[in-house]
Amino acid sequence: MNFLARLLSSQHSTAVHKTTGGITPAHFKEHSLRSQIMPTPLPEELWLSLKQRDGKMLESLVSVGDRVLKNQLIATPTTAYGAPIHAPTSGQIKEITAKHVVNSFAERQLHIVIAVDGQDKFEPLQPMTQYQSLSASQLIEKLHDQGVGGLAGTDFPTPGKLNLTMQSQTQLLIINACECEPFITADEALVREKAEQIVLGAEILQQASNAEKCIVAIANEMSDAIQALKLALANSVIELVLIPTKYPAGGERQIVQAVTGKEVPSGGLPSDINVLIQNVDTAYAAYRAIVIGQPCISRITTLAGTPLKTPKNFEVLFGTPIPFLLELCGNDVLTHESTIVGGSLMGVTLFDDNVAISRATNCVIAASLKWFPDLPAELACIRCGDCADVCPAKLLPQQLYAFSRSQDSENLEDQNLSDCIECGACSYVCPSNIPLVQYFRASKATELAQVQQSQLSEHWQERYQYRQYRLKKDKEESKNRKARLTKDRSTKTDSADFSRSKAKADIAAAVSRVKKRKTESALRKTQEAQDVTGKSQT
Amino acid sequence: METPFVNTTAATYLFIGVTISFSLYALAKVYHWFKKRHQQQRLLVDKINQLLPQTQCGQCGYEGCRPYARAISKGEQVNQCPPGGIETIVKLTTLLNDQVKTLNPAHGEFEVFKVAVIREDECIGCTKCIKACPVDAILGGPKLMHTVIAAECTGCDLCVDPCPVDCIDMIPALANITPGWCLPDDLNSLHNSLWRKS
Amino acid sequence: MTRLAITSPRQTNARSVSRLMAILLFCLSPGILLSCWFFGIGILLNILIATVSALAFEAICLIFRGKNPKVQMKDLSAVVTAVLFALSIPIGMPWIFIVAGIGFAILISKHAYGGLGQNPFNPAMTGYLFLLLSFPLTMTTWHVPIHDLTGSSISPLSIEGIRQSLVASFPFLAFDSNISTALIDGMAMATPLTEYKLASPNALASALSTDTSLWSRDASTGWEMVNIAYLLGGLTLLGLGVIRWHIPLAIIGTVALLSLAFYSSTSAAITGTPYMHLFGSATILGAFFIATDPVSAATTPSGRLIYGVIIGVSLYSIRVWGSYLDAVAIAVVFGNFWAPMLDHFFKPTSYGHKSKFSQLVKGLRL
Repeated sequence: MNFLARLLSSQHSTAVHKTTGGITPAHFKEHSLRSQIMPTPLPEELWLSLKQRDGKMLESLVSVGDRVLKNQLIATPTTAYGAPIHAPTSGQIKEITAKHVVNSFAERQLHIVIAVDGQDKFEPLQPMTQYQSLSASQLIEKLHDQGVGGLAGTDFPTPGKLNLTMQSQTQLLIINACECEPFITADEALVREKAEQIVLGAEILQQASNAEKCIVAIANEMSDAIQALKLALANSVIELVLIPTKYPAGGERQIVQAVTGKEVPSGGLPSDINVLIQNVDTAYAAYRAIVIGQPCISRITTLAGTPLKTPKNFEVLFGTPIPFLLELCGNDVLTHESTIVGGSLMGVTLFDDNVAISRATNCVIAASLKWFPDLPAELACIRCGDCADVCPAKLLPQQLYAFSRSQDSENLEDQNLSDCIECGACSYVCPSNIPLVQYFRASKATELAQVQQSQLSEHWQERYQYRQYRLKKDKEESKNRKARLTKDRSTKTDSADFSRSKAKADIAAAVSRVKKRKTESALRKTQEAQDVTGKSQT
Repeated sequence: METPFVNTTAATYLFIGVTISFSLYALAKVYHWFKKRHQQQRLLVDKINQLLPQTQCGQCGYEGCRPYARAISKGEQVNQCPPGGIETIVKLTTLLNDQVKTLNPAHGEFEVFKVAVIREDECIGCTKCIKACPVDAILGGPKLMHTVIAAECTGCDLCVDPCPVDCIDMIPALANITPGWCLPDDLNSLHNSLWRKS
Repeated sequence: MTRLAITSPRQTNARSVSRLMAILLFCLSPGILLSCWFFGIGILLNILIATVSALAFEAICLIFRGKNPKVQMKDLSAVVTAVLFALSIPIGMPWIFIVAGIGFAILISKHAYGGLGQNPFNPAMTGYLFLLLSFPLTMTTWHVPIHDLTGSSISPLSIEGIRQSLVASFPFLAFDSNISTALIDGMAMATPLTEYKLASPNALASALSTDTSLWSRDASTGWEMVNIAYLLGGLTLLGLGVIRWHIPLAIIGTVALLSLAFYSSTSAAITGTPYMHLFGSATILGAFFIATDPVSAATTPSGRLIYGVIIGVSLYSIRVWGSYLDAVAIAVVFGNFWAPMLDHFFKPTSYGHKSKFSQLVKGLRL
C-alpha cells in the first residue's frame, strides 16, 4: 500500500517465497507477553459444547447427576468430524442444556454443564514414551482417543486431517507458529516456554502422517520464541523457516505459498498438493496426548484489552466461562464495551458474554472505546484499489463490493467470491470505511441460501409431480375397476333365462322342503303331546 | 460504355449472382431463426419454471408454477409470485431482459416463510385438506387424525380454506436455510425474504 | 440491536478520502506556484473561481439528493475536480466560462451519474471538453501578461501584470476599454508544443530568449520548470501510496516511445521532439494527476497498464496527426470509455486459480 513503507520494512528471508498483499497493523502484543503463561484457578462451572464441526452433535456418555473424574471420557463423536470430550476436572454433571456459542447470532447449542467440586480427582494417565514403535494408524487412533483436535481456531479434528493425508502421500508437514493477527499471543507464549515439547509433538505428528519432511514456520518478529525453537531444533531434522510478519501470513493458504511457493488449488485442500499443516498448539497437544498420556482438556488463551488490569496468557480448561476469566484479569466493567473472541481483524464480537472457552478460542479481547472506537460511517467507494493491493487471495474487492451491492451472483462467481478468506485486510485499508467483509459474508450466505432454496424447490416440485402421477394412477385404477365391475354384471345377464328357471326350481324345491319339515315337526309335536297325555292317561 | 479493365457484362452477371445468393442465404437464416425461436419458446418455459419456487400455491392467478411459467413465456407479468421473493422477480427479469418491477399487490405481499399446523383437538378427519395439499404434506385418512409433515410443507396455504372447522394455522418457521449476515444497509429490510429471522 | 451489526474487522487504519485528496492538492502546489511565477496570478484566479463555483454546485446537488452537504463535502473531491479543471483551461479566461465549464463537470458529469464514485468519465476533463467544443476560440487563447500598453516587457507578477490577469479573468473590471484589446494581442499559446502544432516555429523562436538562466521567464523553460515541479509532485504522490505506478509509467512510457519512434529531424518542427512531448506539454500533469483519477480509471494492475497505453497512444496521435492542440482531455476521456472493459477482461489471477495464459499453454500442450 505505502510504497516507501514497504521498501523500508521488508525483511527478506531467502528460504521464503513471496506472498501477495497483506497489511502490517499495529499488533498490540506487548501487554500479554510481559509475563509467563499463568494457570487458571478452577471455575465454578464448566460448559462443554456438544456440537461437532459438521453441525451434528456428539453423543453424551453421561447423564445429569453423574460424578465424573478429570480425564474421563464423557462424550464421543457421531461422525468423523468430531473429537471426543474428556472432563477437564472432577465434578458432577449439573445439567445438559442450551447455552450461547461464540457467534453473533444469539445461536444456542447443547452443552454439558459440570459443577466443579474443586478436588480435581483424576483418572490415571497412560504415558507412552516409546511411541516410535507405533505405526502411523495406531498413533492416529491414539490421538483421536485423546481428543486432539485442531486448536488453531478452526476446530478441525486432527485425526481426520491425518487420515486424509494418509491417502495422498504427505510430502511436507508444516507446523504453523506464525501468529500474525493483532492481540493474539497464545502461540508465541507457548513456543517460547515449551519449545522442546513442541518439537517432540512435531515429530509425533510427522510420524503419524508419514510426512517426508517437517518444517516449523514462525513469524520473524517473535525473537524469544525463535531463539527457544532454534535451541530445541538443534538436534532435529525439522527445519525452521522465518515468515515475514504481514497479516494474514499465518493463514493456511498463505503459509503454503510462503513455504513451498505453490498455491493450494481453489476449492481444494493443502493435501491436494501433498502438504499438511498443523498448528503449533496441536503439536503440543499431540505431545501431551502421547508422551504424557494427557487427553486434550486445556489450551492457551490470550486475554487482552484496556479494561483488563492484567492482560496475559492463561492455560485455560475447556469450558471455562468467559466472564470468569475476565474477572480473573481484573475487568473494568465501566470501560468494557464488548467482548471479541479472536483477534481484532477476524474475531467475532460476542452477542452475550456467557460463552465458554472451546478448542477454537485462542484469544478473548475486552474491547473498550479506547482501542476499538466506533468505526466511521460508510462512504461511497472511490475505486482507489487499495483493497485489491492488500488482498492475499489476489481478488478484486472493489468489484466484489459492487456486485455484492447489486446482488449479481453471476459476476460474484466470476470474481471468485468463494476464494475470499475473510481476513479483513481490505476493510482495514478502505478510505471510505466500507465494511467490505460484511458485504462478502452476506453475499456468500445469500449464495448458499439460494442454492438451498433451489434444492428445496426441486424437492417440492418432485413431490408435486409425484402427487400428480398418483392422482392420475388413482383415476385410472378407478376407471379400470368400474370397467371390470360393469363387465362382470354384463356376463351374468347372458345366462339369465337359464338361471331363472333353475332358480324357480330351486325355490320350489326349497318351499317343498320347508313344507315337509313343517308337517314333520307338527306331527312330532302332536306325537309328543299324545305321549305326554298318554303317559298321564295310562 | 467500355471501361478499360472491367467487362461490364461479366460484372453485371456477377452482381446479380451475388445478390441472389445473398438473398437466399438471408432467407435461410430468417427461417432458421424462426424455427429456433419456436424451440427456445419451449425451453424457455422450462427455464422460467426452474426459477419459480414450486410452492404451487396459485397466488399468481394460475393453477400451479408450470402454468404460470407458460404464461410468462407468452408475455405475462413476472411480478406476481409472492413466495418467490424479490430474488425471483429479479432473476426472471434478468432472464427475459425485462424491467424489474415491484410485486403486484393484487397477488399478495412478501411474507416470512410459514408452515401449516393443524390444531389436532379440532380436527374432524374430513380429508379435505389432504386433497388440497399440492405436495402431499398432510398425513391422515378418513375419520383419522390429520397432521402436517412440517419438513415437507411449502407454506402455500391451500389447505386453510377447505378446512370446514378452520383448524389450520400458518406459523412462521425457519425453512431449511442457513441464516447468515445481512448486507449492511439491509438489516431491517422486509424484502430481504431470505433471512428467516427466528 | 446495533451490536448485531458489528462484524470483523473492528479496527481500521485507513486514511480517509479527504486526507487522500488533501495530499493530492499538496502535491499539485509546487507546480501551481511555479506556474504563478512564470505566468502571473492568472492560474490562481482560475483555481479560485473554479473552486468557489464547484463547491456551490456540489452543495446544491447534495441538497437536492437529500444528503447533508456539511458532511459530504468534507471529502474535497469537488475541490480536486475544480483545481484540475482550472489547470487545464487557458489562463486569463473570463470567469463566466469557467463557471459554465465547472457547472457541466459537477452537475452533469459527476452528479447526474450518481455522485462520488459513480462517474464513468473524469469530470474535470469532460468540463474542459464541453468548453472546448462550445467556445473553441476562447479556449485557445492564453493571456499571459508579458507586455504593457507601451509594448515593453513586464514581469507577470508586477502590479501591471497582476492587473492584467485580473482584468482577463473578470472583464467587468476593465474600466479602460483599450486595455482589453491590448490583451488580445497577448501571447496566444498554451504550451510550447502547441506552438509547434500551429506550425509557427518562428513565434516560438521569437519567444525563446538568449538568457540561459534557469529562472528566466520565457516560453519554453517556464514550462519545463512547471513540468518538473509537477513531476516531483507526482513522484511524491506515488511514494506516499496515493496512486500506483502503472498508469503514469504507461502513459509517459508510451508517449516517450512513440515520439522517439516517430521523431524525424525534418519534421521535428511540427511533430515535436520527445523532450517537447514530455516536458513541453501537459503530459506529466495528465499522467500523474488527471489520468489516475481512481473513479474513472481502470482498477486492475494489468488493466491500468493497458489504460495508460491507450491514453498515451491517443495522446500522441491527436497531437501529431489530429487537429486539437493539447489532447490530454480527449485522450483521458477516451481511456475512460475503455476502463470498464479492461476491468472485466484483465483480472489478476486469483490465488489457487490458473491464469488464462497458462491454461492456454496447457491446452496447446506446449
